[in-house]
Amino acid sequence: MSDRYIFRYIIILVAIVSVLLSAAAMWLQPYQKRNQLNEQRINILKAAGITGVDNKNAEQLFEQHCTGKRDGDMPLYIIDNQTTVIPMRGNGLWGPIWGYIGVASDGKTVVGAVFDHKSETPGLGAEITTENYQNQYKGKHLLKKDDTVTVEVDAIAGATRTSKGVEDMIEQTLKLYLPYFEGNE
Amino acid sequence: MNLITAPLRKANPITVLILGICSSLAVTAKLKPAIVMALSVTVVTALSNLVISLIRKGIPSKIRIIVQLIVVATLVILVDQFLKAFMYDVSKQLSVFVGLIITNCIVMGRLEAFAMSHAPWESFLDGIGNGLGYGLILVIVAFFRDLFGSGTLLGYQVIPQGLYDFGYVNNGLMILPPMALIIIGIIIWLQKPEEEK
Repeated sequence: MSDRYIFRYIIILVAIVSVLLSAAAMWLQPYQKRNQLNEQRINILKAAGITGVDNKNAEQLFEQHCTGKRDGDMPLYIIDNQTTVIPMRGNGLWGPIWGYIGVASDGKTVVGAVFDHKSETPGLGAEITTENYQNQYKGKHLLKKDDTVTVEVDAIAGATRTSKGVEDMIEQTLKLYLPYFEGNE
Repeated sequence: MNLITAPLRKANPITVLILGICSSLAVTAKLKPAIVMALSVTVVTALSNLVISLIRKGIPSKIRIIVQLIVVATLVILVDQFLKAFMYDVSKQLSVFVGLIITNCIVMGRLEAFAMSHAPWESFLDGIGNGLGYGLILVIVAFFRDLFGSGTLLGYQVIPQGLYDFGYVNNGLMILPPMALIIIGIIIWLQKPEEEK
């Protein structure tokens, strides 16, 4: 087989493949976008203590409950005029972790927390996504120390670095929101 | 029919050919991701075998590995996009491992060893068989790791609370990759005498 044949072959193959992939991406993108948005809505509602939300009713329930929203440097969502839900970002052991924490109108009590991660170890660090771990946060108080805030929960055995990552993430994020909560008091 | 059943035991890609070990260590800590991974790999091996077999006569042999890689990568991206669109929660659990199907030795191994020299239908069956053979081991390993490592199966608590009250503890080592290697080792060991007969 001549070089000319090889070149022609590979160019045609790549052309076909790229058309196929772009078509699939364009077709599936709306579904994927919606899934991501719904996931965000589900998590926000969950952090505010509203459970039983799934992919189907997420949009409707979110519109119903979300009574206020702020974008920008310090985004937050107000759910049912009471709970403030704050998005968080941090670092786990292998990659980024993120989540939402819901704080009651007294500015002290945690209503709920949701965490997710990109690539923590299944069975260890990935346990931060389980109910068992997240339920620990319910009803805990924000502890103020000097100008930082922490929430004390049990770390996951065997996943010290991820647990520490969650702790740091909460501390770093809530520190910024301190003036907001104090204004509320 | 032999094409499908042989890879389940006699020519199992993991325990006999020792291919695809890396991903079988990574995704078997829980049962559900293991099952979805098994299905995804089955789809990819079957379809890539089919496609390569269909075009096998035209593939210039100098660049056949590249052509195989393009076909496999395309299929994997499609599977990944599909999971993200229609099975979002599962695709999140599998995260990076779906993408890593591309590097799964079973897929390329079957293309080189089988699809390049056999008819499309046979290649398709061979792909399904090898995907299932891989999946079988994945599910067996994940079953034990999920059960003893977390006390759960498919997210349901299986080991009763009563046992924990008596002082039973989940075996943390089960969750870590080395234990998967040991379980695979045990399966190979159990299978060995059968093979020698």
